[in-house]
Amino acid sequence: MPHVHPQHTTLRDPSKLFYQTEYNRRLIIASYWVILIAAIPIWWHTTSIQRLSLPTSRVHSQAGKQLRFPVEITLENIRDVSLSAALQQLIHERIGGSGLEVRVRNQDNAHSVESYTVSAHNDIAFASQRHLMYPVRSATLPILADTLSTLLVPLTNSHHVAHYSPRYRLAFTLLNEDAAAGQAITSWDISGAISHHLLPILDSLSALHNFTIESQVQYHAPLAFSPISLLDGAGFGLTPEDLTVFINSAEWTLSSSVSNDPVLHFIAFIPSASRRPLQILNSQGRPSSSYTFLLPQWGGIVVYNPPPELQESTHFPPSALNSVFSTFATQLLTLLGVADVPAGVKTDSSVLTGWQLDALLRRRALENSAEAQETLRSIVKIVDQIENMPVGQDVRGDVQNSLTALDQMYTSASTSLNDTLHQSADALSLASRAFFNPGMLALLYFPAEHKYAVYMPLFASAVIPLIATAAREIRAWRRQRREVQGVQQ
Amino acid sequence: MLHWKCRLLWSLYFTLAGFSHSFSSETFEEELTVQTLRDGKVATRFSFSTVLGGATPRNPHNLSIEDDSQHYTLFPLTLGQILREYAVTELHLTLNAGKWNYDRWGYPDEEGVGTGAELWAWIGDGAVATVDERWRDLRNALAGLFCASLGSLDELRTTAPALTFTPGALPDWPLPHAIRHASLPSEHVCTENLTPFLKLLPCKSLSGIASLLNSHRLFDADWHGMGLHVSWLPDDGVQVRLTFQAVTDPLRASSNKRDWSFASIFDRSIERACPVAASSRIVVALPVNAAYSINPQPSSDEQGYATFNVAEQAKPLDVSMQWPANFEHSKSIRLATYSVTPFAESPLSIRRTLKGSTQDHGKLSVFIQNDATTTTEVAYLETMPWIVQFYLHTLTVSIDNIVRDDLLKNISYTPPVPHSRAMMFQAVLVLPARSTVHLTIDITKAFLRYTEHPPDAQRGWDLPPAVLVPLGGLARQRIYTPTLLVDLATPDFSMPYNVIIFTCTLIAFIFGSVFNYLTRKFVVLYKESN
Repeated sequence: MPHVHPQHTTLRDPSKLFYQTEYNRRLIIASYWVILIAAIPIWWHTTSIQRLSLPTSRVHSQAGKQLRFPVEITLENIRDVSLSAALQQLIHERIGGSGLEVRVRNQDNAHSVESYTVSAHNDIAFASQRHLMYPVRSATLPILADTLSTLLVPLTNSHHVAHYSPRYRLAFTLLNEDAAAGQAITSWDISGAISHHLLPILDSLSALHNFTIESQVQYHAPLAFSPISLLDGAGFGLTPEDLTVFINSAEWTLSSSVSNDPVLHFIAFIPSASRRPLQILNSQGRPSSSYTFLLPQWGGIVVYNPPPELQESTHFPPSALNSVFSTFATQLLTLLGVADVPAGVKTDSSVLTGWQLDALLRRRALENSAEAQETLRSIVKIVDQIENMPVGQDVRGDVQNSLTALDQMYTSASTSLNDTLHQSADALSLASRAFFNPGMLALLYFPAEHKYAVYMPLFASAVIPLIATAAREIRAWRRQRREVQGVQQ
Repeated sequence: MLHWKCRLLWSLYFTLAGFSHSFSSETFEEELTVQTLRDGKVATRFSFSTVLGGATPRNPHNLSIEDDSQHYTLFPLTLGQILREYAVTELHLTLNAGKWNYDRWGYPDEEGVGTGAELWAWIGDGAVATVDERWRDLRNALAGLFCASLGSLDELRTTAPALTFTPGALPDWPLPHAIRHASLPSEHVCTENLTPFLKLLPCKSLSGIASLLNSHRLFDADWHGMGLHVSWLPDDGVQVRLTFQAVTDPLRASSNKRDWSFASIFDRSIERACPVAASSRIVVALPVNAAYSINPQPSSDEQGYATFNVAEQAKPLDVSMQWPANFEHSKSIRLATYSVTPFAESPLSIRRTLKGSTQDHGKLSVFIQNDATTTTEVAYLETMPWIVQFYLHTLTVSIDNIVRDDLLKNISYTPPVPHSRAMMFQAVLVLPARSTVHLTIDITKAFLRYTEHPPDAQRGWDLPPAVLVPLGGLARQRIYTPTLLVDLATPDFSMPYNVIIFTCTLIAFIFGSVFNYLTRKFVVLYKESN
């Protein structure tokens, strides 16, 4: 039986309740919407990633700049004053495009310390520090221009030169292929050899690099391949293909791993007693006279065959060690990009000349600045391309500092080569640090779809009634307004 | 520039002063000991020792200045650099698999036999980088060197048990040394750890005794473990000792013959001597009251040990031992007369168990049986990751159910800090003669955050072994208990998404209802009654 209200009882009209009045209901709906809309900025702020703006225009403006080094050459003791202009013209023709502004002038009172000097000598060409003695005559002028050009901008094989680093580790290894087979070299006077052959070089290069030296001896260093046996019993040979796979990094532990500095390896390889003499073959398959080879940007290797009269294992013979280490010294210079003086010019062979050092400083500064600029451009490009990539304060700071270092470098190029190099190295290391900043990867792998998958079950179910009531209420309100207008008319 | 000149002068000075240790002051010695155990198994121990003559550990005070160039011949360069870089005075790393059975096998030759990885180091203070920073870097460097998960030996597992892990000689520096110790019982030792281990040896595994280290056989042994021990010997220099121990079972192949040979244990023989080893010896412990024959003829035979000098012996060298009598398993354990050489048998026997089936509480129970006829004091060490926490007030020590609180003294306790620091409990325990001490303590098991669980969460957590060190009378050799496995409350890992969906549904429902009631227009309808 349905429930029937008795006729005499009157119920309260629900529309008279506080929250049932039209005004309050609309206020409630509006307040929901106000909260929702007010929360959007907070939500946006807490879920967005920090992307500080990078100094893009400064980075792009770097592209137009080029490092220019003013170079001054003073001619001493040369009577013919017209030679200087001619020499400057000839040098300019040869190395005009290499970032050097060469000025040649005659000796006068305004002689600056930093300039290079060329003085006349009767017959020999001799370079020392920043000075060149040369038989200067009108006839030898083109050859002098060639020599000076090569001294200022030497030709080096840039594939051989190791990447610039303010600090290198030099790892010297005496590798016996198989000491148990007998006639091995079990020890060497490494300290003596280093202080005799290498310390002068390292000392003169101290403006560019610091060095850490380590050395070890290994008694079993098997090759990953078998050298071919030569036909006439002349020993064994390494073909050019063998040299590319000579380093057996799976078996040889060549250096320690305590720091991240790049390592230059120098290996004295003693073949097993059963594989002597081990020779390096040329591309025709004939033994070459050389027992050394260079692995570009990696290090140098010397194959040393102990004399056959050696009966048992022994200390490294001092004379042989000398030749091995003078090879290492040459290889080190090649790896570090130190160029030889031009043929025909003599030097005091034990020290590097100022010409070589300055050329190296200029070369490294140019390399570093070009690479720093390239890295900065890459950062800007990658940040533009990937919109989810965060850019924090440290990245922006590094980029800005790198740009500042580059700007300082341009101004100091005319005053001090050392400063220029250090600023270029700073710029490069800051740019690299910004590029490899781990913070830039933070949100790369948290895609937007993932967020929607989490939010959707909550927001869809909550927002649909909100929209529906709002729409209904707006419709009701417009109908009321029409009715009111209709009544007024 | 000035700096380099200084170094140049210094290096010249050292060269003149004969400091240069590039030759003749580094010595390498290798030794293999073989011993038949009471239960018929064969214990082998390789020890490779390199001494860097005249060297001292790096003073941490000098860490901020440039180090001298490192020139090594026999000493492993990669390890030497790590020791210099972090100025570590003493270092011990062991990686073991299996449970060393003290009751049957006695004391091991190398005392570090705790299951899993254990690393402890004495590090001098006084550098710019603190001891903890260098300990962290050392862990990571060794993890890289040995391809082991030593990086997991983090602050959650690091303790400083100075009483149990006593150092050898320490240099007399103004600031004291500190110990750091961590163990990871779940670490498994395998071929990838042996390969870098062999690379630290001057002769690798290509000649000398090390050529017997055949990973296929060693990792098949009943128990195996490797160790790295760096210590400073004031009279000699810095010593690096690499050890490998294995317990193999000849009875596995034939049930009653204990005969062994290098060919049967390692599947190899020594083809060539290591040319740079100052001494290369194989020491075989000879049985006492039993007939045996040993081949080939030992270089010397005294005091129950046959010694083979590898350099002098004919190659290939394959030492073997035959027993004419058959091995009777049960009898040999009981009768000391049939036992082989007098072996440093452990008078202490320990059982350690974790009781309680719930996932939040439990009880640790340790029985220590002292068979000796004298009262013994032992240092007792428990280190636990914070996931297991001790209720120290429930600690009881009893003998035959009679509480004996007087047996426990010098308690030092480092409480755990959840999510950040390990617990350490260290005490001196008095063990009366011929008695069994029973030690119990209540524990609580932590409830982990879901990101703190390991990938195989249902397996449980391995707890590090307890360590006992006899003080005084007995040989001061550490004894490790077996590890424990604790079962923590483990969530269902599909839970996060379920929770998200469930919570969203609930919130949407509540929101919908409240919103609906607030905005609904109520009207009264009168139903016409007939």
